[in-house]
Amino acid sequence: MRLRLKPGQRIGAAVLVGLAGFAVLEWLLNAGDPAAQDLANAFAPPSLGEPLGTDQFGRSMLARMGAALRLSLLLSLLCVTTSASLGIALGVVAGWRRGLLDRVLSFFLNLLLALPGLVLILLFAGLAPGSLPMLYLAISLVLWVEYFRVVRAIARGVVASPPMQASRMLGFGRLYCFRRHLWPAMLAPLLSLAAFGAAGAILALAALGFVSVGLKPPTAELGLMMVELFPYYSDAPWVLAQPVLAVFLLVLGLQLLAGKHP
Amino acid sequence: MKPLLRIENLSVYAGDRPLLENLSLSLCRGERLTILGETGAGKSILIQAIMGLLPPSLRASGSIQIDGRDLATLSRRELECLWGRRLAMLPQEPWHALDPLMRAGRQVAEVYACVLRQDAERAAANARRDLAGVGLEQAGDKLPGQLSGGMAQRLAFCAATAGGAQIVLADEPTKGLDADRRDHIAELLRRKGEEGCVLTISHDLEVARRIGGRVLVMRGGRPLEEGPAEQVLNAPTTDYSCRLIQAAPGHWPRIERRADGEPGPAVLEARGLAKRHGGKRLFQGLDLRVGRGEILGLVGDSGCGKSSLGDILLGLLAPDAGQVARAPGIARHRYLKLYQDPPAAFAADIPLGRLFADLLRLHRLDASRLPPLLERLRLHPTLLERPAHEVSGGELQRLAIARALLLEPVFLFADEPVSRLDPITAREVVQLLTSVATEHRCALLLVSHDPELVERVCKRTLRLG
Repeated sequence: MRLRLKPGQRIGAAVLVGLAGFAVLEWLLNAGDPAAQDLANAFAPPSLGEPLGTDQFGRSMLARMGAALRLSLLLSLLCVTTSASLGIALGVVAGWRRGLLDRVLSFFLNLLLALPGLVLILLFAGLAPGSLPMLYLAISLVLWVEYFRVVRAIARGVVASPPMQASRMLGFGRLYCFRRHLWPAMLAPLLSLAAFGAAGAILALAALGFVSVGLKPPTAELGLMMVELFPYYSDAPWVLAQPVLAVFLLVLGLQLLAGKHP
Repeated sequence: MKPLLRIENLSVYAGDRPLLENLSLSLCRGERLTILGETGAGKSILIQAIMGLLPPSLRASGSIQIDGRDLATLSRRELECLWGRRLAMLPQEPWHALDPLMRAGRQVAEVYACVLRQDAERAAANARRDLAGVGLEQAGDKLPGQLSGGMAQRLAFCAATAGGAQIVLADEPTKGLDADRRDHIAELLRRKGEEGCVLTISHDLEVARRIGGRVLVMRGGRPLEEGPAEQVLNAPTTDYSCRLIQAAPGHWPRIERRADGEPGPAVLEARGLAKRHGGKRLFQGLDLRVGRGEILGLVGDSGCGKSSLGDILLGLLAPDAGQVARAPGIARHRYLKLYQDPPAAFAADIPLGRLFADLLRLHRLDASRLPPLLERLRLHPTLLERPAHEVSGGELQRLAIARALLLEPVFLFADEPVSRLDPITAREVVQLLTSVATEHRCALLLVSHDPELVERVCKRTLRLG
C-alpha cells in the first residue's frame, strides 16, 4: 500500500508530530504535576524554570499543556479507532448484503443524523457529568455514522463492479474480495475521514469543557483551561493563548493531513 | 475555396511523449474525412484539440484554424460561441450526451430555443422536422432510455447539429450499433458532409466506405496514408493500412460449418427466460441449450439485453421468469465471463502476477501450467510484473483468457470481448479465443454487435431484439 503525501498533508503531519512530540517529551522529561498549586507564584511569566509560565493558581503551564495535549490526542485516537472499526464493519456488511440488515442500520443511522452531533454528545455528557468513558462513548457514537455512510456507499459500488464480480466467479472468498477490492478502494477516503474525525473529537471535547459539562477541574483539558483562564485574558494573555493555540494547531494539522480528494 | 477547418503541423505531447505528430489537414465545404487507426493512434486527442478541450497537462504546437481564425487567438468565451453554431461534436456514447429525463423532442427543441433564440413554437416545429429527417418522427415523446442505441445516436446527432454547425466532428459514432443502424448513421454523416464538412473517427471500414470522401490512416500519432476513400480502402499503399483493412471481420476466413458438428452434452440449459429492464421487455420465452465445446454467437443492438442474458446464464442476475440449469457435477468456477473492458476484469494497482498467484493458490493448481498457456496466447511472461492499467487492452484481454483457461472452464461468456480493441488486435484476440476454446472443449457464448464477426467464427448464432 503506497501512500504519497501531498505538500499540504506533509505540513499537517509535521504539525501533529510536533504537538505529539511535545506531549510525550513533557511526560518523559518533565513529568510535572498539572494540579500542583503555588498560589504565591500565580501568573509567573515564562522563565527558565517554567518555560510556559504559570496559571491563576500558580500551576505549571508546561505540565498542564502536556497533560491536556496527551488527553486530547489519546481520546481522539481512541474515538477514531472505535468509530472507524464499527463504521467500517457495519458499512461493509450493509453495503454488501443489502436487504433488511441494511435498512435497519440505515434507519438507526438516520435517527442519529436527525440530531446535531454536539447535542447528542451534550446529552450523554449530561447523563454522567465529568465522566471520560461517557464522553468517549458519546463522541464515538456520533463519529461512526460517517464511516458507515462512506464505506456503505463504496462497498455497494465495488461489490457490483466487474473486477469483484470476476473474482467471485473465479471462486475467491469474501475475505479475499475485501482485501483485494474493498479495502484499497476505501483506504484513501477513510484516512481523510479519520483525520476529520479526530479533529471533530478534539473540538467536541474542548467545546464540552468550555461550556462546563465536560471533564471537571482540576483536570488539564484544553476547553476547560480556556474557560478558566478567560477572566484573566487582559492580565495574562500569553497563558490563555496557549490552549487556544494548541486546539488551533491540532485541528489545522488534522485538516491539512486529511487533504483534498478529487 | 476557403477551408472551414484547417490544421497545420499539429503536434500534441504528454510530457516528452508525442501523442500526435505533425498532422496537417484541411476540410472545405462538402468534404468528408474519415480517420482510421488503432487505439492510441491519437485520434481522440485530435478531436479534443479541435474543440479546444485538450487537458491542460498536454502541450500542443502548430495551428488549428476554423473559418480562417486561429483557435489559439480566441478567448474561452469566443471559443464557446463556436460550439454548436460552427462546430459540433457527436459523442461516442449517446447515452452520456443526452439528458435521461428529457423527452427526445425537447432535447432538440432546446437547442433551437437556447442557442438560436427561437420562440418555443418555432423551436418545437424545427425539432419535429429534424427528427422526421432522421426517421424518428414517432420518438419525439420518448425518453432516451426508451430508445435503442441507433435511435439514441440519431437523436444525439439532431441535437448536436441543430445549432447550425457546419463542421461536424464524430468520434466513433457507430460504436455498438448493428450493421443497419450503423449504415443509417454513416448516411446521415455523408449527407451532413455535403452541406458542411465532416471529420469522423472510426474503427469501422464500412463506415469510412459509406461516408466516402477522403480517408486518413494514422498510427502512433502520425498520419500514415491519405487519399480518396475508395482508393485507400481498396488499394492501400502502406503495409500497415493493408493489415488494418484485412483485419475487418469481412475479410476473416470463414469457419467451416460442418454438418457433423454434433454438439457435446449440454453444459447449460435455459428454459423460458424473460427479463425486463426499465419498463422495456428485453426477451421473453427464451430457450437455449449450450453444448460442450460449442461456439455460439449472440448478436443484437446495444441495449437489447445481450449482457443481461449472459449474466442470467451465469447466475449473476435473476431472470424475471424461467430457469437456467447447469450440468450436474461441475464446479461453479468453471462457468466464467470475459469482459468488454479488459481492465474491468482485474483488481486495480496490483501486479497481475500476484493475482495469478492468488488464483493458483486458491484452487491448488499446478503453477507450471501457466507458462505454456501464456505462450499459446502469445503473451510475454514479464507482463505479469505490471498492474492491469499498464498493459495494453489486447494483451490484457488475452491475459483474462489465460486466467479463465487455468480453471478449465466448460462455459465462457465473452461480452463483446474485442469491441474496445482496434481491428488488428481484435482479429488476433477473437481468433485465439475461438481456437483455444475449441482446444479446451469449452463452450463459448460470443457477444458482438457485429453480425459479420459472429458469422465468421460461430457455428450457431442467436439474435436478440
